[in-house]
Amino acid sequence: MAKDIVAAAFCCIGTFFFLLGTTGLLRMPDIFTRLHPSTKCDTLGACSVIIGMAVYSGWSWDVFKLILIACFLLLSSATCGHAIGRSALKRDIRYWRKESGEVDDGHNA
Amino acid sequence: MDDFLTIIAIIISLNAVVCLYRAAVGPTTQDRVLGVNIVGTKTLVVVVLITFIQAESFFLDVAIVYALLLFVVTVALSRYLEAEGWEEMK
Repeated sequence: MAKDIVAAAFCCIGTFFFLLGTTGLLRMPDIFTRLHPSTKCDTLGACSVIIGMAVYSGWSWDVFKLILIACFLLLSSATCGHAIGRSALKRDIRYWRKESGEVDDGHNA
Repeated sequence: MDDFLTIIAIIISLNAVVCLYRAAVGPTTQDRVLGVNIVGTKTLVVVVLITFIQAESFFLDVAIVYALLLFVVTVALSRYLEAEGWEEMK
């Protein structure tokens, strides 16, 4: 059925972006670079899965609730990323430099 | 389709467990807040998937409240960590 195929495609795209976000969160060297893949994981991954579920559920009141969750995630993940980044910036956590090649753990700032 | 959604939910749950590594050993406290935020988002998506696996519509209300709570927790923790005179948790 076409509806199931579209929903499955959206779910696969979302799971792929979740895998990318997890990899970036584990592999990136400092907090400012970790913020980038994790907010992408929120917006693209979660919203893709939720839109796929909205397609799968058909026309009902569930669609409006799912669209509400997706719109709120688009707002809140960007705001959370900005808040965490500003908090890290005000606490003077040092950046990771490519020349030195070492991972700065933030304690020796 | 239910089996497919169950597999997707299991994969996302395993991702959330792996993200707990960053929340446990993250060098700075902001890393821990970020890891908890990511785990919460994945839990939200798993709750949405469970809605359609179980065919119970009221789980969507749980998901809405969970999204609001996650946003408030992350912003409040970030604003708290901005304050001057706050010692870094070793």
